[in-house]
Amino acid sequence: MTAILYHGEPNGPSLTVLAAAFEKQAPVELRRIDLAAGERHGGAVPCPFEVSLSIEGEGPVLVADGVAMADSVFVACYLDDAGGGPALRPADPYARWEMMAWCRQVIERAAPAAAFLGTQAHLAPRLAEMAEPAFAQLTGAIASIDLAERWKAVRAGDFPEAQVADSRAKIAQAVERVEARLAGGRKWLFGDFSIADLETYSWLAGMAALVPDGFAGAPRTREWLARVKARPSVARALALASVPAPQDAWAPGPEINRWG
Amino acid sequence: MSVALYHWEPNANSGKPMLALVEKGVAFESRYLDLLNFDQHKPEYLAVNPQGTIPAMVHDGRVLTESTAMMEYVDEAFDGPALMPAGAADRWRVRWWMKFMDQWLGPSFSMVGWSVFVGPSVRQRDPEELDAAIGRIPLPERRVAWRKAISGNFSEAEMAESKRRIALGIDLLERALGEREWLGSDVYSLADINGFNSGYALPLSQPGLANDALTPNIMRWLRAIYARPATRQTWAMGRTQMASRVSILESEPA
Ligand SMILES: N[C@@H](CCC(=O)N[C@@H](CS)C(=O)NCC(=O)O)C(=O)O
Repeated sequence: MTAILYHGEPNGPSLTVLAAAFEKQAPVELRRIDLAAGERHGGAVPCPFEVSLSIEGEGPVLVADGVAMADSVFVACYLDDAGGGPALRPADPYARWEMMAWCRQVIERAAPAAAFLGTQAHLAPRLAEMAEPAFAQLTGAIASIDLAERWKAVRAGDFPEAQVADSRAKIAQAVERVEARLAGGRKWLFGDFSIADLETYSWLAGMAALVPDGFAGAPRTREWLARVKARPSVARALALASVPAPQDAWAPGPEINRWG
Repeated sequence: MSVALYHWEPNANSGKPMLALVEKGVAFESRYLDLLNFDQHKPEYLAVNPQGTIPAMVHDGRVLTESTAMMEYVDEAFDGPALMPAGAADRWRVRWWMKFMDQWLGPSFSMVGWSVFVGPSVRQRDPEELDAAIGRIPLPERRVAWRKAISGNFSEAEMAESKRRIALGIDLLERALGEREWLGSDVYSLADINGFNSGYALPLSQPGLANDALTPNIMRWLRAIYARPATRQTWAMGRTQMASRVSILESEPA
């Protein structure tokens, strides 16, 4: 496998894939891009429709043997399927189902909420300062109309109160689920360390500062967050940060479920 | 070994594990829930799946939800033909398509489907009874969706967005199926099972966008899936005219 990973700051989906690659000791060449500046759309990153229409929004792209792949959980599954190193998913089918169903709920419920709150707090001010032509150029390069709309909403500061409240509730619910899951002294969410630990950590790490109430009554979750952070693969990914607080690096993510 | 599946029609999420189980040759006890009768929000079922959505599967006493993850389980836990390709990149593509169907294209089909089928099917019932039924729905976002379906209140903007997505989604399906025989790889897989459950009635519901002239690859693909004995057997479990729309695929290519 010869692979190139285009990644943003080690937060959200970029963190999941970086750490998964390090866990697997995959021979991957790293290329940093600024997802929050729209660099994935600039032409340097291969952009077939599977990348440009990725449900995840702005995330890393792994190009392996000519195939450009997006969506962090599935890219992590790819690394797990393709390479040696320790397994990142349980071997037992039922435990594996539990892990994949868990990730699906994180992807669908927590991730859009985290991206919404994270971009509101950290990206909106930066985009608001941009000159109109530069911003028009950025969004003009985005093939996905709905993703471009999310960028425009962030710049406009369009964060409806109901969605803010719903997003905060979704983060609190995600923490509750983690807290319940860790009952009984579990070290990791599903037996051995897995993609679920990575994906859940990656979306929640930056939320502790934004939704502090959600984490207040969750001592097991706070310990688990510290444990994941100290995991060598995660520490190595975090050390790649070019900013002091990578957990505050956000770009428009998955959309908030428009159906239910 | 015992497998029981709580499901509605062979359609969308319910049909995914139904067809996967039949393809694998796994016998299962069918527990049909009538979605139009709100069976999925009754206490007996909430005890199985507290989110009140269908499908749910019980295998040897253990409950599984989330239809796509459930299908991967069905493929791994039982003997029978493999429903995932062998190569890692192909497996990635199968999962990509399933997510695209589940979270982007499928919900747009649902919005249209609920506004033309589900809403009108329940709307004439006693308003108080409907109100009480909606009050029992556990997920708040589903309460909103049901209210809109019943009152016919999907906004013009959201319907337009769903239609945009359906047109683009059909275009992408046609492109992908022009590149390879099946959706995710060169072998029949869970991506095809997933896609068929969303798209089997396309030539009927979107005749201007999906037809032999405009989308020959989609039509070839739908007919090929419908020709499989497992698909026939699964769709024979349907009870409503929604599932029987599948017979459009008996037509000869134009
Ligand atoms: N992510 C879930 C979604 C299940 C789901 O939403 N099922 C629909 C039927 S396709 C349902 O139960 N709708 C009825 C309702 O929400 O009341 C899955 O894939 O199983």
